[in-house]
Amino acid sequence: MPFTPKMTRPILTQRIPTPPYGNPKDRRVISYAAYTASGGYAGLRKAIAMSPDDVVNEVKNSQLRGRGGAGFPCGLKWTFLPKPDANGEGGPRYLAINADESEPGTFKDRLLMDFDPHLVLEGIAICCYACRIQTAYFYIRGEYHHQARVMENAIREAYEHGIFGGTGLFSGASTKNRDTPWKVECFLHRGAGAYICGEETGLLESLEGKRGWPRNKPPFPAIKGLFGKPTIINNVETLAHVPSIIENGAAWFGTMGCESSIKGAPPSYGTKLMGVSGHVERPGVFECDLGIPLRTLVEQYCGGMRKGKKYKGAIPGGVSMGILGPDQFDAELDFDIGRKYNVLGLGTAGPTIFDEDTDMVAVARNIARFFKHESCGQCTPCREGSGWLYQLLSRIEEGNAKSRDLDLALEIATSMGTMSGTTICGLADGNNWAVRTIMNKFRDEFEARVKPTFIPVGITLGGAGLGGTGLQTGVMV
Amino acid sequence: MAWITKNSAGMKVERRSEPYLTPAMRDELTRTVLPRYEQKQGALLPALHMIQHEYAWIPSQAMQEIAEFLGLKAADVLDAASFYEEYWLTPRGEHIISVCRSIACEFCDHKAVTEACKAKLGIEVGETTDDGTFTLIEIECLGSCGTAPAALVNEKLVENATAETISRAIDEARATPHHHNGRH
Repeated sequence: MPFTPKMTRPILTQRIPTPPYGNPKDRRVISYAAYTASGGYAGLRKAIAMSPDDVVNEVKNSQLRGRGGAGFPCGLKWTFLPKPDANGEGGPRYLAINADESEPGTFKDRLLMDFDPHLVLEGIAICCYACRIQTAYFYIRGEYHHQARVMENAIREAYEHGIFGGTGLFSGASTKNRDTPWKVECFLHRGAGAYICGEETGLLESLEGKRGWPRNKPPFPAIKGLFGKPTIINNVETLAHVPSIIENGAAWFGTMGCESSIKGAPPSYGTKLMGVSGHVERPGVFECDLGIPLRTLVEQYCGGMRKGKKYKGAIPGGVSMGILGPDQFDAELDFDIGRKYNVLGLGTAGPTIFDEDTDMVAVARNIARFFKHESCGQCTPCREGSGWLYQLLSRIEEGNAKSRDLDLALEIATSMGTMSGTTICGLADGNNWAVRTIMNKFRDEFEARVKPTFIPVGITLGGAGLGGTGLQTGVMV
Repeated sequence: MAWITKNSAGMKVERRSEPYLTPAMRDELTRTVLPRYEQKQGALLPALHMIQHEYAWIPSQAMQEIAEFLGLKAADVLDAASFYEEYWLTPRGEHIISVCRSIACEFCDHKAVTEACKAKLGIEVGETTDDGTFTLIEIECLGSCGTAPAALVNEKLVENATAETISRAIDEARATPHHHNGRH
């Protein structure tokens, strides 16, 4: 069935010209003036005229799911914070914005930070109002130098215009249930090159000035997070969706995206930034409805496969998600993808596409090297397993492995990742899913690279005549 | 990144009389950075960034000065500083070239970029030129998968990098010396 888009206009990219709605050559950084002139901060104005609880409910009713990879319902997460007391006070609580976008294949938040920083800041301000948060930390990865400067500049503009700092918008329109002006602080915090700091509790540790070792959960950050205080952690794109949801209502959000085809599963509403990379004619970030088939995305948005080559496989969104095989080109990119196509999930929806000439053993080796490099070293199965897995896959790639190494690699992957409770965070899971699905879906390529294993079998050949010659018997498998 | 063994026990701290954490830096930290965090340790990453930005690496003496300034143990500072890949605890070249080697870049021919750098600078990956001008490394994902292959020359991102564009970026960097304090 051909895919018909439900979105009628770009939402997240309304100010960032993006095909098919605009030409990337026309992209400019949107200043505060340009942002407000094009209807910006209307969502925030509407929000502060509502009660904080109503704002939370609106987001909850929209069924907005987190865009950072796990797809957890955003509004629900906001309700996990302890209830404020009668004065509307809840003690210090924090918002941490996860802009530590560092998984290979993921580069969609960068588009928002590059060009429309105020859209993100508006989402931050609304979240802080709704959840009674006074301080927001924008945790941006260390390698995003340019983006950090753009965001820093936008935050400064937002302070000057009273979005933050409690001197303008918030102080004038003191919130409905209280007389004192609401004051929100927003600070940029630069990471320093550690993938694990994108894990939410690793991020909190890093904000506290420690090594980014993920924490054991529970307690969850909503109860005990940054500096031991209740903390919400949201992805950049998730927050960028909030202003338009408040402006247009929860029901409007549900007109885009798709229902779940699995009975009882939550829907995948709204649009999504899809960052396509790899062997396509026009890679880049596009905004589409959730549920768009991968083939449609590649053929209609990205100009098809590069040089007319054939599709071979694709990683749905960040290397930890596993791989879609040659027969899964029509997979719908929504939050059900994990249950339907034997991958871990949609992830950040940054498909990396491979053409027919790609060596899948090298793909597996590249991914294993990434996880080995980025394992934080805290849990033994991950720290040790990721290293061994990389060594094994390198050996297979070089042609020095034996057939039994294939099973060994799978066993390492499975035992480091799928057994819950053996590691604190999901990094080992990601490593496992990536390597295991590539090895299973492209098994023949791996088998073609290994030498047979000699298995000794105890048979006596030729009786006494051959006895004592040291001839060993066995089978090659 | 994190999982590297370091010779911390037998570490020798080279000293100089002039502090690395200058009065101007202390002032900046006190005025704008410290008030942002509930606990002083929150300012540790910003402080380390500050030192590295100024000197291109983080000397042990500077870590001790930060520890004293933030009321931490020197070990806490080393613990955090050694965890993050971006912090250099040993001196490096004046300019740093980081070629991305992750999935999209490798399969869109990052090798051509690395090879061009190696040939131009006459060094291998992980090495620094004899005159201390350039260090070449390969790192994991730069978040530029849509414009792969990518490389960072100092803080400038080179997208859709080719042998020619990276070579030009190297020339540009050479023409604009950083003059890190305390080096060169």
